[in-house]
Amino acid sequence: MEYKISNGNKPLSLVCLIAGVVMLISALVCDFAKKSLMLFGSDCRGAFLVLGAVGIFLGLFFFPTEKHHRKIINIIFLFPLLFAFAVTVIIPLVLGIGYSFTDWDGIRVKNVVGLANYTKMFTQPSFIWSILITFLFVLFNMILVNLVAFLLALLCTSKIKGMGFFRAAYFLPNLIGGIVLGYIWQFIFSNVVTKWTTALSGNQYSMLSDTKTAFIAIIIVYVWQYAGYIMLIYITGLNMIPLDVLEAAAIDGASRLQTLFNIKLPMIASTITICTFLTLTSAFKMFDVNLALTNGTGSIADFMGSYLTNGTEMLALNIYSTAVVENKYAFGEAKAVLFFIILAIVSILQVKITSSKEVEL
Amino acid sequence: MKKKALTLLMAGVMAFSLTACGGASTNSGSTDNSGADSTTTEAEADADSSSSDKTVSGDAIRLLNGKPEIDAQLQELAAKYNEETGAEVVIETIGGDTNASDELKKMYQADNMPDIFVIEANQAANWDGMLADLSGEEWTDKTGFELTDDNMGTIGFPYTVEATALGYNADVLSAAGVDPASLTSPDAWKSACETLDSKKDELGITAVFGWCAEPANLGWSSGTHVFGQYLDAGLKADDTTYIDMLNDGGKIDDARMKSFAEFVGMMNQYSDPALLVDGTYDNQVAGFKDGKYAFITQGNWCVTSPEDVSFEVGFAPYAFEDGINTIIAGPPSYWVAYQDGNVDGAKAFFNWCAGDSAQDILVNKAGLVSPFDDCQYEATNPFYKSMKSYIDAGNYSGWHTMLKKDGLQNETCQVFADYAKGSIADADAFVETIKKVIESYYAE
Repeated sequence: MEYKISNGNKPLSLVCLIAGVVMLISALVCDFAKKSLMLFGSDCRGAFLVLGAVGIFLGLFFFPTEKHHRKIINIIFLFPLLFAFAVTVIIPLVLGIGYSFTDWDGIRVKNVVGLANYTKMFTQPSFIWSILITFLFVLFNMILVNLVAFLLALLCTSKIKGMGFFRAAYFLPNLIGGIVLGYIWQFIFSNVVTKWTTALSGNQYSMLSDTKTAFIAIIIVYVWQYAGYIMLIYITGLNMIPLDVLEAAAIDGASRLQTLFNIKLPMIASTITICTFLTLTSAFKMFDVNLALTNGTGSIADFMGSYLTNGTEMLALNIYSTAVVENKYAFGEAKAVLFFIILAIVSILQVKITSSKEVEL
Repeated sequence: MKKKALTLLMAGVMAFSLTACGGASTNSGSTDNSGADSTTTEAEADADSSSSDKTVSGDAIRLLNGKPEIDAQLQELAAKYNEETGAEVVIETIGGDTNASDELKKMYQADNMPDIFVIEANQAANWDGMLADLSGEEWTDKTGFELTDDNMGTIGFPYTVEATALGYNADVLSAAGVDPASLTSPDAWKSACETLDSKKDELGITAVFGWCAEPANLGWSSGTHVFGQYLDAGLKADDTTYIDMLNDGGKIDDARMKSFAEFVGMMNQYSDPALLVDGTYDNQVAGFKDGKYAFITQGNWCVTSPEDVSFEVGFAPYAFEDGINTIIAGPPSYWVAYQDGNVDGAKAFFNWCAGDSAQDILVNKAGLVSPFDDCQYEATNPFYKSMKSYIDAGNYSGWHTMLKKDGLQNETCQVFADYAKGSIADADAFVETIKKVIESYYAE
């Protein structure tokens, strides 16, 4: 479609552009210099900034070009989104990487320390431990969440009574925030579960007071929270299986198990891939339940020659407490960069694998 | 043509909505700065405040409060200050799980610093060179509790004094025939515990100690306060022997730590098992208020109103060595004035706060304990009488536990928990473990 510019106006465009740039720059300069911009008895800094930006956009819009007009319009329309994305994601990422090479304490940067934060983090036993248990947690969760969710999905696609109720009930935990879940379960573990463990084994302390059982407790809560969500995806997958295939299998005399393993599972292979990666990435980012349930406590008597006190502290929580509790913002930032790299690799793999699966289908 | 007009309109709306957001924040930024910017003239500041009625007028000082429980009383304090002097103070309270020091860092990055804010003693170094020297101010003559720093001088205004030791239920102790004044040696404690324990049913108590070493939510109690007894118990308020050792690469005094560990072992032994390992602060305090425990390992903040308890309370020292007869008392945190803020306004406010009408509100309404010698109000806190008797006799130690390395409490509290649970078997193993943990934390 040819789009004609009837009233491109070069002088107007240039005036708008130049005025806009001047106003914007003067507003920004005043802002950085902490000076107010006095005009007609009031501070016009904010107004200058607004008018400057509007001027630049108008100038671009009126710029008499046929070739690039569409491109300019596209940029103007995309700008709000790109600007927000840059301010909230790109700039913090770049700044964060920059801070990780310094000794920033959240207030000031005193020295640039180069790679010291990065080398230090791999000699810190508590951090290595956090990485290890995060991987362990991810592994357990990937298997357990998918298994539980798939079984629930099978249950909720069978013809039992009250199916709607079951679906809603299993999905509900996912609607409660992780912090709230953590505190609710903390109460359950230290007031209800202790009654059972005392009766069964004579151990009167809660699961949360011992590192191994606390780790199991976190997994239980997380599976309980997340399985309902994954279940929904599996239900959709199972409902997508064409009925004629299932009918054909039934006519051929396939048992229920045969149908499950030879028909249903292969038919929802792509759903399984998606769900696996969803659980993988979300388990890596585990933070809120970890914080509320154990706050990372738990002791490991001997790990790399140290007595660890952060037995259940996973990566995200470790980063948070390094920065905020121990007041080592730059060190936490370096750990966060590593965390970013791990997550980026996982995400790229996910995109690669799911897209190749889609081609096969 | 119509289409083009629509495009133009939408582009304009988008650009405007975007820049309007940016513009608004710059505006408020500029007005906020005006208070701090000494080059701004009076007229300009007025113009600023009139341009937006939400923002603070040029002369008002902003105070960042870290104690949400006294927010209402501080608002009242600000209103009173305005009424008496005409100057304005704006109280901003940080509460819940966000701590003030974290919020301050964000405020600093956003160039939105309050004129007065709250810090703990070990955070002074973070703000090196940015806090105003308050020495020579009138109020400094009336208290011995101000915060001083080698580089910056007198920087911290004490707004309250808190004390921590073993809080006791005097009714239970007298019914059992135990004199709290005699509890100044490990042996005396031991026999007192045995007596109380043997008369549990008769006295109606569940356990001798309401001591909770749960690390996830109560780590501050074991890791900072109880650990602080190792650092300070029995020492004069300005004696920094053990905190200096600790901050010199995490060294501890083995013999002292051993005695301390034995004392903690005794607390573990006579504590309520339901509370010891996975209790909560609420359970602990509720149990003490219900008279279920003879002692509680908290401070004067756990029982703030006389209506909370139906019995007399007091403090007994952690006498893990013979002759220890002090409680830890002092300001746990301070108000400081930001160097680039309205320092004169802050100084005037501090002087006023040390005076009678402010103390009336802080002591009688907010339930704080006054750090000032000439304060005529008796705090309503049930522990106050006991606190005062220790402070008047000079038998109080400092809050040097606040000077330990940031975050150490999160490491040591786990050791207390393991000891309570029994996975650290005895006092020797406790000393060995805590030494290892502290050393490796300081080595980082």
